[in-house]
Order: sequence, then C-alpha cells, then structure tokens
Amino acid sequence: MPALPVAATPTHCPYCALQCAMTLTPASAPALGPTTVPAPDAVPAVPVVEGRAFPTNRGGLCTKGWTSPTLLGSPDRITAPLIRGADGAFREAGWDEALDLVADRLRETRRLHGADAVGVFGGGGLTNEKAYLLGKFARLALGTSRIDYNGRFCMSSAAAAGTRAFGIDRGLPFPVEHLDAAETVLLLGTNVAETMPPFIGHLTGAQAAGGLIVVDPRRTATVRLTEDGQGMHVQPTPGSDLVLLLGLIHIVIAERLWDEAYVAERTTGFSELRRSVSVWWPERVASETGVPVPQLREVARRLASGRGTYILTGRGVEQHVDGTDTATAAINLSLLLGLPGSRHSGYGTLTGQGNGQGGREHGQKADQLPGYRKIADPEARRHVAAVWGVDPAIIPGPGLPAVQLLQSLGQPDGIRAFLVHGSNVVVSAPNAARVAAGLAALDFLVVCDFFLSETAALADVVLPVTQWAEEEGTITSLEGRVLRRRRAVSAPPGVRDELWVLHELADRLDAPSTFHTDPEAVFEELRLASEGGIADYSGIDYALLDAGEAAFWPYPRGSVGTPRLFAQSFGHPDGLARIVAVAPTPPAEPLNVDGGLTLITGRLLEHYQSGAQTRRVPELAAAQPHARLQLHPATAARLGIDDDAVVEVVNGRGIVRCRARLSVDIRPDTVFLPFHFPADESANVLTLDAVDPISGMPEFKKSAVLVRPVLETVDARATLEVAL
Amino acid sequence: MRVVLIGYGPVGSRFVDEMLPSVRDGSVELTVIGAETTDAYNRVLVAELAVGHTDLESIIVADRGGAAASGVRVLTGTTAVAIDTAAAQVVLDTGERVGYDRLVLATGARANIPTLDGVAKPQRDLTHLEKYGPALVGRDDDLPTGITVLRDLADAERIARTVRAGGRIVVLGAGVLGLELALAATQAGAQACVVHHGDIPMPRNLDRGGGRVLQAALRRAGVSVVEHSRAEAVSFHEHETGDRSFDALITADGKQIRGDLLVLSCGVGARTELATLAGLQTAAGIVVDADLRSWSDPAISAIGDCAHVVPRTAEAAELAVLPGAPTGLIGSGWRQAAWLAAQLRAEAAGLLADPAAPAERDALVMLKAEGIDVVAIGDVSAEPWDPQYADDLDDPRGPQRVAQWADPENGSYAKLITRSGVLTAFVCVGMPRTAAELTLLYERGAELPADRSVLLRFDGPDYTPALDSDVFAPGATVCWCNGVTVAHIADSAACGNTTVACIGKDTRAGTGCGGCKGRIADLLVHLEATGGTTSAAV
Repeated sequence: MPALPVAATPTHCPYCALQCAMTLTPASAPALGPTTVPAPDAVPAVPVVEGRAFPTNRGGLCTKGWTSPTLLGSPDRITAPLIRGADGAFREAGWDEALDLVADRLRETRRLHGADAVGVFGGGGLTNEKAYLLGKFARLALGTSRIDYNGRFCMSSAAAAGTRAFGIDRGLPFPVEHLDAAETVLLLGTNVAETMPPFIGHLTGAQAAGGLIVVDPRRTATVRLTEDGQGMHVQPTPGSDLVLLLGLIHIVIAERLWDEAYVAERTTGFSELRRSVSVWWPERVASETGVPVPQLREVARRLASGRGTYILTGRGVEQHVDGTDTATAAINLSLLLGLPGSRHSGYGTLTGQGNGQGGREHGQKADQLPGYRKIADPEARRHVAAVWGVDPAIIPGPGLPAVQLLQSLGQPDGIRAFLVHGSNVVVSAPNAARVAAGLAALDFLVVCDFFLSETAALADVVLPVTQWAEEEGTITSLEGRVLRRRRAVSAPPGVRDELWVLHELADRLDAPSTFHTDPEAVFEELRLASEGGIADYSGIDYALLDAGEAAFWPYPRGSVGTPRLFAQSFGHPDGLARIVAVAPTPPAEPLNVDGGLTLITGRLLEHYQSGAQTRRVPELAAAQPHARLQLHPATAARLGIDDDAVVEVVNGRGIVRCRARLSVDIRPDTVFLPFHFPADESANVLTLDAVDPISGMPEFKKSAVLVRPVLETVDARATLEVAL
Repeated sequence: MRVVLIGYGPVGSRFVDEMLPSVRDGSVELTVIGAETTDAYNRVLVAELAVGHTDLESIIVADRGGAAASGVRVLTGTTAVAIDTAAAQVVLDTGERVGYDRLVLATGARANIPTLDGVAKPQRDLTHLEKYGPALVGRDDDLPTGITVLRDLADAERIARTVRAGGRIVVLGAGVLGLELALAATQAGAQACVVHHGDIPMPRNLDRGGGRVLQAALRRAGVSVVEHSRAEAVSFHEHETGDRSFDALITADGKQIRGDLLVLSCGVGARTELATLAGLQTAAGIVVDADLRSWSDPAISAIGDCAHVVPRTAEAAELAVLPGAPTGLIGSGWRQAAWLAAQLRAEAAGLLADPAAPAERDALVMLKAEGIDVVAIGDVSAEPWDPQYADDLDDPRGPQRVAQWADPENGSYAKLITRSGVLTAFVCVGMPRTAAELTLLYERGAELPADRSVLLRFDGPDYTPALDSDVFAPGATVCWCNGVTVAHIADSAACGNTTVACIGKDTRAGTGCGGCKGRIADLLVHLEATGGTTSAAV
C-alpha cells in the first residue's frame, strides 16, 4: 500500500453521482485557502475538506459534502469482524476466524442446496473495481447466478429505456456543463436542488431564459428555481407522468412541432408512436393528470422553441411499475424534437448513487457481464471467460433482479445464505417488512459495511470495510466520466478493503482465476473485460486519470473517449434510435379511493439514501433528526391533523408513525415521506414490491395509504417514545 | 371461438387491439367488418382536422396492418347488410355469409338531421328498413350541397374547404361539437356563427351561470351567437347549371342567417338499423344488459355509441321508455371495448372472467378549444339556495349541497354539487387547473376540502405560500445546497461576518452551486439597513 499523502489529496465526494471534486487535507497540515471550511463537528483527527475546481461542481459542495469527513472519525465505526454468538449477541473476532466461518457456511450451503442458494447483493456506491470483482466473485467463487444490486431500485428503468432506444445507457450522454448553454431544461421527477445541489449551477442559463420546467407533484426546492418568470412548475397527480408525456407528444405532433428531417433520418418507429398518441388529446390528458390544457400546450411549444433544449428524468418518473415506459416516453418526446445527438440539446437521466453509472456496467447486475455485456450472449461469455482464464460454461446464466432476489430469501428453492455489500436493504428496499422477514429466514447473512447499519445489525457475520477516503479506485459519474477516488487517510486497524475480503474468500473457496487485491490491478483486468463492450474502458488507465484527463466512456484503446455520444449515430447496429410506442397500464394498486392518499417518497438535502452514513453525522442528524410526513393543510383539516401532530401512515404492508408537516407545497391528494429513516419511520414499509416487467424496478413512487392522527394521550405518547 | 366485429371505428379498433393476444394464440378467430376504407381515426379530433389543426395521419388509431399480421381477418370497405341470428351469420354486401359464435356490434352513431324545410330526413324504423332494405343500412344521409354534418372525413374535408377559403360557416346547434368547430374555425381564420334555440350554449351540460360565462367567452373569441332562434328552413342559391347550394338558414322568427356552409350539429343517434332488422330490441341504441349482451340475443353484444346499456330487470322490462342513452363519449366506449374483450378472451381460454362490468357513469364534457376552458359533468341545475326536499334529505349519500363561484367580468365560474362532501356534479368555466383537479376528485369520489375555496385557488397567482413572498423572512432558505436560512445568516452577520466570503466560511452559504451569492449580498445590505433584523422582527 502506498504511503499516505502528507499534503492535500484530490478526490471526490462519497455520496451522490455528481461526484463533486474535493480535496482532503490532513488535519495537521495548514489549510489551503481562504474558502476552506472546517467541519464543525469533526473529531480533530479527520481531514479537512475543501471544494475543488471541477466542471461539475466548480469548487462547491453541499452540506453533505462539507460534513463528509466526520464519518472518518465516527465513534460508530466497526473496527473488527463481528460474529453473532449462540446468545444472539455480536462478539468481535479475528479476520481469519470470520473469513473461515463465512467460507465454511457458503460452501456448506452450496453443497446442501446448490450454488443458487447463495445470493449476493451489491451496491451503487461500490467502486468500479469492487463492483467488477463482486460480479466475478459471485460467478466464479460462488458459482451462483443470484447476484443483483440496489441500483435496480435506482437506475434500472432509465437504463432499460436508454438501452432500448439508443442501444447504449450512459446516464447523461453529454458533459454536465453542456447544460449551461441550454435555454430550456425539462426536469421530470427530480429534486436536484436537494439531492445534488451543486448541479443547479448548471440550470442558471435556462432560468435566465425563463425555460426551467419542473414536473413534480410537490413544490420542491427545485420547483422554486422556476419562480419569478424563470420557468414553470407542472404539478401532475402521482402516477400520471406517462399520460402527461403522451399528451405532450400528442401536441408536438398535432401542432407539427416535431423535427421531420431528424425523425426520418435518425429514428425508426414514428408511425407507431403517432398512432399510439392519437388517443391522448390534451383535454383527456388534463382530466387524468390534473395539468391544465393551456400549460400542456405551453410546455410542448417551449420544448420545441429552438436551440438548447434538454429533457432530464429522475427517480420520480422512473421508480414505477411503468417506469421503463415512462422514461421511454420522455425519450420519444426528445427524439421527436430532434434533441439526442444534436450539438446543443439532449436527453439524459440523472443517476443517483455515487457510482450508480459504473455500478451498472461491470457485472453486479443479474443479467450482465463487464462492459455492459449481456450474460446470455455467447460471444460476451467467451470474451469475459477468456479474460478470466476459465471455460465459458462455468459462468452461470442470468439470475434474478433485486426485488425477486429479495423475495426469494429464505423461500423453498430460494436463497439460504446471502452476502450484502454496500447496501442497507431493510431500509432502502420496497415492502421493507417483507425484506426483514426474508433476512430473518436465512440460514446465514453476511454484511460488509463500515457502520452497523440496520441490515448489518441483522447479520450473522459483519465484515468491516474501508470508506471512500481510505481506499483507491475509480467511480463513473452521472455523465459517464471515469474519476479517481484516492486514499487520504489510513483505515482504522482491523478494517479491510473489500477487494481483499473477496480475494481471501475466493482463496478459501478454491475459486478459479485470480482475485487481485490491488485496485489498479483489478482496473487493468476490468479494462480487458470491458474491451469491445458497450461500456468500453480499454483505453483508460490510472496514469491517464491521474494526469487529469476527462475520460468519458466509451473509451476504446487508442481513442480519446466520447464526451458527447450520438453525434453521428446511435448504438444500435443500424445507427438509428428506436422510437417505441408505449401505453399506460393501471396502477399496481388502486389509488385515492375511500379517502385514501397517494404516498410518494424521496430525499432530503441533509441525508443520503438509507441514512446509514448521514444519520451518523451530528450536524446533519440535528438538522433532520426524524422523518416527517408532508401533507396539504386542506387534507390535514379533513383528517383532523394539526401541524407537528403525531400521525400514522398506514396500508396493508405496514405503519409509519411520525409527525406531520403541513405545507401547501404538495398536492392535496398526495403525501410525502423521506426514505432515509429506519424502524417506525421507515417509508419503505409502505411501498410496493410490484415491479416493472422490463426493468425489475419496484413501485416506490405511488403507494395507497391512509393517514390518521394519533391521539396524544399519555399512553400513546409512551408508545411513541418507545417506538421512536 | 369465432368472434365477428361489425364496425371498425375507434371503439371497434380498441376492441381488436385488446383481442390480439387471443388471436395470436389461436383461441379466437376474429373477423372485422368495416364500411369505411380509411383506418379508424379518433373522431374526437375530427373538428380539429376540419380546421387544419391536425392531419389525418395524426388521428389514426387503428393498426390495420398489425391486426392483419396477427391473424385478424380485416374486411374494410365492406358493409354488413344483415344479421341472420338463427344461423348465427352476418351477411355482407358481397353476398358472403360470416358465421359467428359471438357477434360484437360497434356500429357507432350518425349525426342527427334536424327537421328543416329543404333538407330530406330519412327514417330508419322497421317499416322503412323493410321497405328500402340494405340501401339504408350502414349509409349516411345525402345532404344538399353546402350543408354538412361533422362526423367523418368527407365532412371534415367539406368544412376544410370553407375554412381554407376564409368563408362563413353557420353552425346549427350549440352543443360541444358545434362550439368546438365554431371556435376552431374562427381561430383558423374563417367566420363562424352559432345558431341555437336555447338561452345558453351547451344547455344539456351547463347551468345558467356557466352558460352565460361561456357565451361571453365565445363572443370574445369572435364567434357570433344567435340564441333563442329555432331553425325552420334553409334557402338555396339556384345556379345556372341547375345545381343549387346552401344560401341561408331561416329561423322561426324570420331571421335569415347567410353563410357558405351550414354545419348541422344537433347531436347523434345510434346506428341500430342492422339490429332493428335482425329483430334485436332497440331504444336510444341497441339495448344491452350490464354485461353488454343484447336483451334479445345473448350471442350478440354492443359497445360504444350504438349500445344503450340498461340493466335487465323485471321492472325495466315493463317500462315503455327505457332510461338512459349511449353517452356519446369515447371514454365509455373504450372502457366497454376493453372489458368485453377481456371477457371474450377469458371465455375463449376457458377461464372465469371478471364479472364486474364497467360502471356506467355520467358523461364528463370538456370543451376542446384554445383559450376557453369548460368542464362539466352531471346535473348542475341545482342552486345554492334551492329548498331542500324531504326525499333529497333522505338520500343515503347525504343531502345535496351546492357551492358556487362566479366572476363574470373575468370569465370564471364554478359550481360544485356535493353529497357528504363528495362531488356528484360540477361545472367549471375559465379556470383550467381547477377544472382538471375537480375532474380528478370527481373520478375518485374523493371528499372535497371543507374549505371549498382551496380548490379555486389553484388558478390564482397566490398559489404560493406567504413565506416565500418575503425573501427576508427568517425561515426563508437562502442557500439550498447547504440548507442555510435568513436567520442563520443574520446570526452570522451579527457575529461580525459582513461579507459574502465570511458568511460562506461561517455558514457554508454560497459554497455549493454558488447561485445564492447575490441573494446573500442583498440580505447583508438589508441587514445593514435594518440594523440586523429580519422581516419578522421588523
């Protein structure tokens, strides 16, 4: 391992996919500049963070980024492997004992129940190297097909839609800063002002041109950026996004706003699309979405108004059982308008997790091999098997996507032993109570994490691993740019890198091929494995990245990479984009019946994903200590709920108990919960594990719920105290 | 199972789409008989086609090629002239007989021809049908030159010629279709005059208040409206060639309303002649039970504009006049098509189908016109101060209540009729967002907020919380990236941080995207000017 730097280490933020550039400086070293801000709650030993000039964040960080070093000094850190004893309590153990136990139990499970009785669950926060090696480990060391990851809950719908339409799924097929020159930006279901704040610096051009259009059932912080003539807020009822998009497409066609030459030269499928939207005239769309006709027309006309138009989707429209089709409708709209591949316009999806892009490219997906290759494709299997030095026949076939994988936990013929890496599924997966029951029914659960997350707390063995600033590797950001993550501090003694953990386990399991522990060596192998694939990294190496090269994939050997995709052709063999006609389907459960409301979930500025990290940052936890239910005052009045009253949010899957926050910033038929909180405040006990038939995305964004006040008698208060 | 569909319009085409899985798996052999040679189009948009706001390709709904490729036998340009119910066969104009196990009639409706001196009006009762036979079946009525209805593509083309020439169109009838045409034609540069005998436009859908506001809106949009005028006759130009064409519409009180084209927009009537000839019971349409099967022959179903759904009960069978009528709305036709197809698919596969038939609902009427928003549903005649009647008070859904908003000067009007807080009818004019939200609430049967005015505010400029209007309120967020409020910055400034850079260092405001640095500077100036107080303290 290289010696630790004594001066500043350039790296990137541990959290979201914007991957803001930052510099970490050892606490003892002098601060670098006038804008250096110490983390107020930081334990002295942690490094000082500073925003670093970079095209995406331009030196800025959000409150999560500024406080991120606190995690490095957290007293909650696990510093030795934990093994659950016969008494049900954890005890600290040595690595050899823990790894021997894990290997024995995995081998035993495989012997008794078959290779597919061992499952692996990865994460979109893992580096490219870890994601790659985890996929290889599952296929070669465990021989299981049962691997998937939490990106299934995040990017799968947009990825499926992008692949179907363009033949390539790179979240933003253009550098982020190209948005600066746009005059119109349509944001569908994304609250970037809270989820990746420095991103909004790239929206100021559209705001100045009056062209920032935000579609959201809530009046979010992002929506506020449209006020005072800077754009428009479109506020459809939850679950009507697809109809809204079909309505916009209808208007674009009826008013002849579409780019005929582009559609003729660069796409196929237009006539099907035209027929499919002929039934979605504006008034019908208004009656199903709640969006008035004049606004529908205004949006359509604005999108078609000329230079510099981008359409961007987020989880709000993608996390549905029709999420792939909804993203497809957004793509269809952008293709009609001639945006993708033009010099000044485009379509993109805003990737959420830190390595949500790279994490979906290198083999931790059930149906995938490195380089965004299909695991069922014989040619792909031959290529990867050759790099691994194994017989293609020993690589298992496609496994199960995340929701089905989790549903199979503890079931007959399902998963008996489960490895979880970088994911807190009991908080982040839909229908969380069912997930917890599944984990409890396992024979053996291993969790690799740096804190005792709610999922780790249920494990039989917890293996403590390194955090971002303690490790080397690469991350691929939301714009498809490969970035270097660098080590700035040493990990606590007793903590190991996941690459080493996988190497040790592979060794104990007599796995074929090699499992490098050095990140650069793993990346060198990844390069070869990805070569010729869709996400081709073969021309990228650490030296290139360390020299500051802006490396956007595909980056075949000998090329200079691809900052902007689709200029000449799309990724399908004929070079054309596919317009795929889509139609709405009924929701997975009836909504807004018998006084019920529609629950939508999302994120807060201060927290990241399941909150396993940010809830441990005192400053962030103090700002947002608990989940609060956002609901409209008129709805609250009907239900007899006052601001800050304790309420129960209920459906057939579970109950959330929290306080109410009355706000006119939400539709009266809709309530909102953040999903960062565990136990009684866990929004995902209410969400549905019905999935999109194409992507496997669960239905996070519209759940039927009832909301009721909790009478604050002495008894109820006591119960609440216990519950909270 | 052999299924035959007569009628390949938008409802028939939806039925075909829904049947395709069973056609592909071979469990259903589907034959489609359509009189028109063009692919089915969305008739709702024919007025827009007529004025050139859309084109034919953009309103096509049917995928004839796709259906044929899936194995459907598609016979377009073919008319069914008779149904031999005894033999379970359909007789075509080619002489071919097509056998069926289940027959679905989606023959739709044709425009009504009002009684006008100078315009012939064919009858289609059993006597006439038996006398003239197939000549009257499946055909539309020939109208004199210069007079048209608005139903199909030929009608649209007739109107389009007048619109392109910037001519004058006289529309007889102030229903939705007539008004949409008049508005769209005016917008497209033609002149339009709507003639109707009532007091207000859309009298079947609107109350007086909504009608008055709409009337004013029509005039503002440049449409002339002649109300209280019963049309009696038409007069014609006699051309030297011996042909004649429309000249003027003559009303009972002697007005002569001249124009280049007369569009008769007086409602539609179901096309029932095939059913009538086959001896099936008809009323306002082909009489079918809640499961869409004919009262007279369970092998035959009807959907869409030709179907008159009356649940078959002993009481209903005794009635001289059956209640209800086809809604005339495409939405209910599509619901029926999808439901019936699901039944037949299940039947063909030997499965049990969902027994719940699609609920018949009141017709939601939306005027399609740019700049004029009208949505209405149900009986909106009740007024806020109407006396409460005993039978109404006893209604299990609770007594009827009426809330109303009227601002004629600014063209907005709403009336909400509720029982137990749930909308049973409403009309909304000139308030597009409110209308859209009311529609959702109506469809869901959701309880309205006790303060009904919440619903009216959606279109208001103040549909934003008060907090925001004051950017210096203590709780107002200044820096989104770091969640820093006015109060945080005021506290920091009070501690001596009086520059944007110092504030950034202390609070992190402005250290994300940097977009708020200007607002921080403004705030510092404001704090300086007010001696460090934020708004709430002023």
